Amino acid sequence: MLQLFILLLCCGILVSGLLAVTLKSVLAATVSAGLASLFAAVCYLLLGAPDVAMTEASIGSGLSTLMFLYAIRKTRDSDGDD
Amino acid sequence: MAEHILLAAAALIFLGVLLGVVRLVLGPTVVDRVAAVDMLTVMSISMISLYALVAGRFIYLDVALVYGVLSFLAVIAVARYLERGL
Repeated sequence: MLQLFILLLCCGILVSGLLAVTLKSVLAATVSAGLASLFAAVCYLLLGAPDVAMTEASIGSGLSTLMFLYAIRKTRDSDGDD
Repeated sequence: MAEHILLAAAALIFLGVLLGVVRLVLGPTVVDRVAAVDMLTVMSISMISLYALVAGRFIYLDVALVYGVLSFLAVIAVARYLERGL
């Protein structure tokens, strides 16, 4: 069952990465990239590295998404659609 | 009895992750995708908690705690962005 969950998480990383590349909306692509990092963190935990998982969850999923959003807000016009 | 409950919980988490990924792929608007990401975060937290119980290593519950706090932060950041406040 552990292998099944790891396989599911790897499929989730794959789908999220493909969505982050192919989506038109920049905000949706940022959210998808954060989700790929989140799945990767759970995958690290299931493979037996809780400290790596905690770092990945805090930096990859939290801080990286926040910084991407801040950069998009700073570089887009305020009347853009998204 | 206990392993049946654990198996049912694992099946429900599996179903939840599957439905969340379907909503993430199909979702027409950004708000749908953000809601799907929030649901998938909750599914991840429950998966970590279940694995902590199955493996008997309760240090993993700390990871679930950090996860919960930070996913809340990310969703709040996206909501503030959509409100044009960030």
